[in-house]
Amino acid sequence: MISCRDFRAGFTAATADPKMLEHVRGCDLCLDHAAAIDPDIVFRAIGGGELVPPGGVDAFVDDVMRQVRVRSAANVVNVPSRFSWRKLSAAAAMAAGVTGAALVYHYERGTRVIPPPVTDRPAVVANLTTKPVVETYESENATIVEVPASEPGGAQVVMIFDESLPSDL
Amino acid sequence: MAAVLRLMIPTKESVDPDDRQLVETIRGGDADAFELLVRRKTSKVYALCYRIIGNAEDAKDISQLVFLKLWENLGKYDAQYAFDTWLYRMVTNVAIDFMRNRQSRENAVNSNLRLVKTSSDPEQGVIVQRKEIETVFHEVSSVLSPKQKTIFVMNQMDDMPSSEIAKVLGCRESTVRNHLFNARKAMQQQLEKRFPEYSRLWRQR
Repeated sequence: MISCRDFRAGFTAATADPKMLEHVRGCDLCLDHAAAIDPDIVFRAIGGGELVPPGGVDAFVDDVMRQVRVRSAANVVNVPSRFSWRKLSAAAAMAAGVTGAALVYHYERGTRVIPPPVTDRPAVVANLTTKPVVETYESENATIVEVPASEPGGAQVVMIFDESLPSDL
Repeated sequence: MAAVLRLMIPTKESVDPDDRQLVETIRGGDADAFELLVRRKTSKVYALCYRIIGNAEDAKDISQLVFLKLWENLGKYDAQYAFDTWLYRMVTNVAIDFMRNRQSRENAVNSNLRLVKTSSDPEQGVIVQRKEIETVFHEVSSVLSPKQKTIFVMNQMDDMPSSEIAKVLGCRESTVRNHLFNARKAMQQQLEKRFPEYSRLWRQR
């Protein structure tokens, strides 16, 4: 480090001389002298240099390496990301292009929605068939449920549950 | 004679590999080499984070985050560029992001606070107290944008020329100079408001 005498003799405003800066960062008396000439030197006097993180360098490095090992174990490290904004934007551009082209194509061809033809014929009526009426029924395995009529003289509903009955009955 | 010769021949252990060589070794899967790189860069990275952020614990967390990002992105490093420039870019990006998030949280709280110094005697000459300078700097620089503060720290404290800062931040040199000019101006105004005894230094100029 240069002497205080050399510093005071050689110091000028806005100096970038590393020797001058080194001196002013280590000598309080010369800092006062320099600040009177160049106030900007006050903050320059803080200096960059190197600082030790809280807990020391060893603990810091251990913390970093622990996290690196955890990430490596979790297979996060060195796995190339499949997601990329470039890929996404390229896909979006392609999708927009295809959609736009399809719209233009249909517009130019004058494609319209054609309504179904209207006919005068009546709709086909379903071919309903009458099932045989069961007046009596006997079975040991059947379960017969009679639903009471909702009004006097109304239709009587009888439900028969029997597996031996024909399926279409 | 043989013993003397052995001492003169550099052994593998006695030669520190430079940063590029270390990176190549790490890419080959050597975690020990990465530990060596972290150990080598810790003090510098932490110092830069601390100057920008102004809080020791936050600076430590951000420094660790930088090294984790470094580990994950080492494959992207192009060896034709200086390693430190690439590393500083990572540091400044992470620190600036952190500052932006913190600023948005703190703006509402601190907007009306003003630090008033009571111990100074305006009649006496200003004696620069080295210990106070950092406190004053952190108070005064709180008005700077994260980018302005980063540029100011790299230029004024790390003695980095504007051309190098421009490379780190990926912007033009004129932009860096412009940020520096505005940062100085804003800090002088803040000194006037918060630390009138220090601002007299600037008025004397």
